Amino acid sequence: MPDPIAIDALPQASLDPPRRRGPSFIWFIPILAAAVAIGIAVQRVMTEGPTVTILFKQASGVQAGKTFVKYKDVDIGQVTAVELADGFSKVKVTAKMDRSAAGLFVEDTRFWIVEPRITLSGVTGLGTLISGNFIGLQPGKSTKDERAFVGLDTPPPITDQPGKRFVLQAADLGSLGTGAPLYFRRLKAGEVLSYALAAGGSGIDVTVFVNAPYDQYVTSETRFWDASGIDVSLNAEGLAVRTQSLVSVLAGGVAFDLPSFASTESPADEGATFTLYKDQTSAMKQPDPVARRFILYTDSMQGLSVGSPVKLLGVTAGEIAGVDLTLDPETRAFRPRVLISFFPERLIARFIPEQTALAEAIAQGDEAERLALIRHQFDDLGLRAQVRTGNLLTGERYIAFDYDPKAPKVTIDWNQDPLVLPVTQTGLDDLESKVTGILEQVRAILATVEKMPLEGIAVDLDGAIKKIDRLLAGIDTKTLPELDQALGAMRRAMTTADRVLEGTNQTLLGTDAPGQQEFRDAMQEIVRAARSVRVLADYLERNPSALIRGKGKE
Amino acid sequence: MSTTSLTAARLGLVACDTCGLLSRPAGPGAAGFCRRCGSKLHGRHPNSLQNTWALAVAAAVCFLPANALPVMVTNAFGSSTPDTILGGVVFLYTSGSWPLALIVLVASFMIPLGKLIALAWLLISIHRRTHGGERQRMRLHRAVRAVGPWSMLDVFVATFTVALVQLDPLMSVEPGLGVLFFASVVVLTMLAAESLDPRLLWDLDPADIKRA
Ligand SMILES: [Zn+2]
Repeated sequence: MPDPIAIDALPQASLDPPRRRGPSFIWFIPILAAAVAIGIAVQRVMTEGPTVTILFKQASGVQAGKTFVKYKDVDIGQVTAVELADGFSKVKVTAKMDRSAAGLFVEDTRFWIVEPRITLSGVTGLGTLISGNFIGLQPGKSTKDERAFVGLDTPPPITDQPGKRFVLQAADLGSLGTGAPLYFRRLKAGEVLSYALAAGGSGIDVTVFVNAPYDQYVTSETRFWDASGIDVSLNAEGLAVRTQSLVSVLAGGVAFDLPSFASTESPADEGATFTLYKDQTSAMKQPDPVARRFILYTDSMQGLSVGSPVKLLGVTAGEIAGVDLTLDPETRAFRPRVLISFFPERLIARFIPEQTALAEAIAQGDEAERLALIRHQFDDLGLRAQVRTGNLLTGERYIAFDYDPKAPKVTIDWNQDPLVLPVTQTGLDDLESKVTGILEQVRAILATVEKMPLEGIAVDLDGAIKKIDRLLAGIDTKTLPELDQALGAMRRAMTTADRVLEGTNQTLLGTDAPGQQEFRDAMQEIVRAARSVRVLADYLERNPSALIRGKGKE
Repeated sequence: MSTTSLTAARLGLVACDTCGLLSRPAGPGAAGFCRRCGSKLHGRHPNSLQNTWALAVAAAVCFLPANALPVMVTNAFGSSTPDTILGGVVFLYTSGSWPLALIVLVASFMIPLGKLIALAWLLISIHRRTHGGERQRMRLHRAVRAVGPWSMLDVFVATFTVALVQLDPLMSVEPGLGVLFFASVVVLTMLAAESLDPRLLWDLDPADIKRA
């Protein structure tokens, strides 16, 4: 026993109010916790979506916990398990779906694996670029729920969007792939659905889908062309660079449009077949059913090449179909011969019906009437051909037809076929002829002045003017050849530059050009880099300690 | 050594929890206030058992979602992976680092669960007025109180990771709802352990307990 304690010596506590009995407020805490936990559980159960299984022949890039099921670019589920099934011949993919998407899984819903592509809409972050494959789905129309599906090997055609499918015939696939965009006036109007080797192996049939409302602009005359890469062309018109969009540069694409000469506006039928042209220029070229061919004899073929324009009063009305040399039977000298194709249909204005009717009547009319019209042009109106410089830099030239009422009469053998048309043999370049024209005007003025009655003055003036005349003649004979030489040298330099540019063009843009190859290599390099980042991430995920201790030996 | 020795409660005295002054209660049923420091006096923590029970039950309720819900969501390269505590243990074990798995299992699952069981056992033993083993139960109570704050280490690691790994868009870690419940379990068990008056462990006289 401890020592007795003087209890009375201890202080006495003061009085406090009586304690409240009954359950303490402390019980509010477990009740609150229970309420929150139950609330979360209920919410979980409420948002619990269905689990579906999909059988694939191959499940490349599908990983549990990493592969998503997407519909209209929205994640609606995630793959939870990937396992072999059916005696190891198939892959069973189990995916947990969001409750909001539960209604999508009916009998005829179809699934397929989508491989990643570079699209402008898709590359919103690095993550999507390297997130790998995903499972796409197309909802069915059935009302019967289904949880086990068999996946498709290839994506099904789009059926849940209004629009039309067309088939494009191409010589080769180029850089197009499934999902490549389709452009109409640079608006995205659809996509490439699939491609297959054409029957007989002679080409590729590319199936495209044109979304509504763009599908109504596809008529039987619509032209489709490959809009991949950058189209750089250097010709008499100058330098032209055409691209559709960054996506088409990277991932390929198809563009379509109506050519200016199109006459029908009724939409083409679903499944109609079109030719896929290699570029816009060749696509938009007129079919030119009534091309007339004519022959011109020029003094030089310098700067003239097949495809160079033939202009009538400045309007492109044809093109050079061929350039070659002929031997003159009389002089035994070589003569450059230019074969031109002339497309009269291009010139017919379509806006005033009466005029159109007249022009069409002549164009489609009989040969005699047409010939009479041509004869009228040359004999009565003085239409003459001339070789002109189109691009001073590149030295590209073209054939120009213009009315020259003062042109000397020529005799044309109207029985020839093709007709040989007269060329104004200026012997000089365009610039030179202009200078000559000015000189002639000066001479005309001088001639007038000479006739003036002011004899004395006239004599002095005449002397002065004669000096000017001599000077001018000197310019004509001395300076101009030099100018011509300078121009020639400049042109040679430009030809070299042209070659370099053309070389660059091929390097960068040819289908199997080294530049494009390098570009592809670079893209593959990016993809490889992305893959290594992924591998690293996976490794770090498995071995987080590597961040601190470094990568140990495996 | 006898555990039924004389106690202040037997002598009808109350000790001040704050300054330790031993006082005579002010009157029957009401201990009053300390003459020295003014603290409210009580023979045993008021409502100790009830409070401990309530907090322990709340902790037990939170323990379920703490383990069922993800504590961290890792977003890496476009895919997000939710991680629960036990999922992490399984992952660590299957990936070969069983010592780590063991540490996580013990620290994040066994200890919180053990604390809950220990609290329940202490409370039940008090209600049943179990004789013997008071010393062991005292040690257990002390251990529960000592280990309490350390369980927050998990929460600390989770928040630390979330704050550190924000390499958008490559990788980011977000806290899951589970970590909130886990923190609640830790805090609630700590409060429960604190609110349990250890003196009740050797109050074998029904009269003493009634006072609590
Ligand atoms: Zn005190």
